[in-house]
Amino acid sequence: MAGSTVAPTDGFVLDETKKPKWQMSPLTKRRWENFKVKKRGYWSLWIISTLMVLSLFAEFIANDKPLVMTYKEDVYFPVLFSYPETTFGGVFETEAVYRSEAVQQFIKDGDGWMLWPLIPFSFDTIDLNTAGAVPEAPSARHWLGTDDVARDVTARIIYGFRLSVIFGLSLTFFSAVIGITVGATQGYFGGLVDLIGQRIVEVWAGLPVLFLIIILTSLFEPNPVALLLLLLLFNWMALVAVVRAEFLRTRNFDYVNAAKALGENDMVIMWKYMLPNAMVATLTFLPFIVNGSITTLTSLDFLGFGLPAGYPSLGELLSQGKANIQAPWLGLSGFFTLAIMLTLLIFVGEGVRDAFDPRRSAT
Amino acid sequence: MSDRILEVEDLSVEFRGVEVVHNVSFHVGRGETVAIVGESGSGKSVTALSVMQLLPYLYASHPNGSILVDGEEMLGRDEEDLLKIRGNRIGMVFQEPMTSLNPLHHIEKQIGEVLYVHRGMGVSEARTRSLELLELVGLQHAEDRLRAYPHELSGGQRQRVMIAMALANEPDILIADEPTTALDVTIQAQILRLLDELKGRLNMALLLITHDLGVVRKMADRICVMTDGRMVEQGESEEIFTNPQHEYTQHLLAAEPSGDPVAANADSPVVMHADNVVVEFNLARGLFAKKNVLTAVDQVSLEIRQGQTLGIVGESGSGKTTLAMALVRLQSSKGNIYLGETQINGLKSNELRPLRSEMQIVFQDPYGSLPPRLSANEIVEAGLKIHHPEMTSVERRTMVSEVLVEVGLDPNLQDRYPHEFSGGQRQRIAIARAIILRPRIIVMDEPTSALDVSVQAQIVDLLRDLQHKYNLAYLFISHDLKVVRALAHHLIVMKDGVVVEQGPSEKVFSEPETAYTKALMAAAFDLEVVEAGSQ
Repeated sequence: MAGSTVAPTDGFVLDETKKPKWQMSPLTKRRWENFKVKKRGYWSLWIISTLMVLSLFAEFIANDKPLVMTYKEDVYFPVLFSYPETTFGGVFETEAVYRSEAVQQFIKDGDGWMLWPLIPFSFDTIDLNTAGAVPEAPSARHWLGTDDVARDVTARIIYGFRLSVIFGLSLTFFSAVIGITVGATQGYFGGLVDLIGQRIVEVWAGLPVLFLIIILTSLFEPNPVALLLLLLLFNWMALVAVVRAEFLRTRNFDYVNAAKALGENDMVIMWKYMLPNAMVATLTFLPFIVNGSITTLTSLDFLGFGLPAGYPSLGELLSQGKANIQAPWLGLSGFFTLAIMLTLLIFVGEGVRDAFDPRRSAT
Repeated sequence: MSDRILEVEDLSVEFRGVEVVHNVSFHVGRGETVAIVGESGSGKSVTALSVMQLLPYLYASHPNGSILVDGEEMLGRDEEDLLKIRGNRIGMVFQEPMTSLNPLHHIEKQIGEVLYVHRGMGVSEARTRSLELLELVGLQHAEDRLRAYPHELSGGQRQRVMIAMALANEPDILIADEPTTALDVTIQAQILRLLDELKGRLNMALLLITHDLGVVRKMADRICVMTDGRMVEQGESEEIFTNPQHEYTQHLLAAEPSGDPVAANADSPVVMHADNVVVEFNLARGLFAKKNVLTAVDQVSLEIRQGQTLGIVGESGSGKTTLAMALVRLQSSKGNIYLGETQINGLKSNELRPLRSEMQIVFQDPYGSLPPRLSANEIVEAGLKIHHPEMTSVERRTMVSEVLVEVGLDPNLQDRYPHEFSGGQRQRIAIARAIILRPRIIVMDEPTSALDVSVQAQIVDLLRDLQHKYNLAYLFISHDLKVVRALAHHLIVMKDGVVVEQGPSEKVFSEPETAYTKALMAAAFDLEVVEAGSQ
């Protein structure tokens, strides 16, 4: 009677060669196809990625040190290594200032040559040989002009872009890690954990963030890392609600119960079974959090409570633009950099959101 | 019955250029019940909706065919004309009484709507008529219920309201799309009797869409069998049941779960027993609210022996699933529960973890019980990773392949994701996940309820094979008594959290003692209403 039914052991031949080594899951594949269909988001992703990669090599694009040089038959790489002036027959034990006429003369005397980067100024190089009064209007020497202490605006924008993007991404990354952890814990365990967690989040979110940051930054001189931590204190709540809701929804699903019945521990269930569901909502939010982070940094810099003087900051460029209305290239450069950067990020975010929308298909 | 009120001729339906219903013809006469039978995806609901012209015609079209209602063509009519026919000449009852009523309006307004639109009745007139209708469909205390909102009514009551709405204008044709599928068996019997009575009294044509052959046999004068968008056979009900011509009809009729449970040794050791299990839920909200306790499971004791199946039957809300969850320690409860000799209630989750491999669970909904982002292989091997960390990935893969073959799946498909499998295949994956750890007991929570009949029978066969092979103990929960009869050695009948009756299953099936069990059996096997049963 029992043997009269399906005898499944025959009929199947296991073909182990078919086992894929690595492959994109069909879902991911479909989403990528969907993303590619939206040309705006797709191109924005390429442009912003290219800009980011380029800006990572800012030292090789805009610098006040030569890329390569020779001196008495030897080859030197001043961008990568620091050489004291004495190497080139100078008197100072400190690093050579390659822009100075004295050092250039030493090198010429040593039968050397120098290959300069595309923009021969770094973000903090003060151009002492500037022709007119500062801020100086755009010219062949300074493509976007100089700011009010004769620093090259193009160089400052390249470095400022890099700092903003890295700052925005790391702030977002750490906010996401904390936010997802807190949201997942609250949603998964529910009950009292959720109740207490929610109240803490609510109280914390009610603090007047801007004033607190202004007070704290005036107490000590912030560097980028300190500022990152400070902003992180208030930025991690963005994702808590989304992830918590997703975990609350998923926690009673049968497959979560099935995993518990298998004896999986809570961490594995949260990570392997439930997080993939919450990732859709999270990824949708991320580009907007990146944008928010960049804007926060810029506005703090603009107000003068952000990074200390000397850092290449887009906010500081904007505030110079405001202080020097007679030099519109300052404000305009700052504005366009920010506008283009934020727009590209939003387009990418929009594309990601649409690609993850299950109701859309690639057709 | 030559008076054909509905005549469908050579009808096809296309969605975005893909034909899903092919050249279907059938007719229904006044006072006649015609059933369209088929499994999910057979095109039976699409056919029914095209009679009402309710398909999404942005994407859908009819390349050919005609639908005559009382001699008038429905295809190609403008929307305004159709509005006069829908709800007036043709009424429709849908499957899900929860979602087919508007939750924001009380039922007087919802029934009244039909009357205002088609009859131009005033408020007081409509009210009188609504009352009449609610009494007609047997809703008790109709007067008080007029102001009730859908959530205040039970499933059966909601379905009665739906029927009242459909009947409001005394339609010539009533289309009922799976009208009882979402209901408990005793309620199903009541609704079926109601539909039959009303059909006779109003001399309507009843077009019944269903997958349930029991309902068809009980109700239909004539039957149309559909599969893959084609009508493969139609004829008198008696004729089809006794002498099916088409291969698919024969297959469908043979698919009803049948046969006897695996032969079992009555003295085999007890795998699990429980004494006086109680599960309570505190419904009170907030920290300081007064306690408001719902007892979902009340003082249930049971024992399950090796190689045997304990069936738990009961209607929705009887606490059978809660009991199962408590037994596998996914739900906290009072009362002692033993797995073999080990007392497992009160164990901490890390003390319980090693014992988890001995008791596994299979859930009802094969779409919800598999994690959507893991492949079949990852799902099945998860248990091995926990309980046999010493196994290499190659060993695990070999074992997963073996188990998949055992449950009748092609192991070459193991790197696919759940959504690439059919419902039956998914349920096989869920069973593979449970048996790969070689448990002593598997709790099955309605494992066949979400599946088509023919797939149901295959799963029942598979479960019997596995039980025989591994001497497994099953705790089998179902509201479907036919499936339970094919598997269970012992039976527990539950109602409102309490055990109403228990004993060896053939005894409970042949000589039920309590009135409730009798009513349940009558409703399940004969679709008859026994007055002593619940209302």
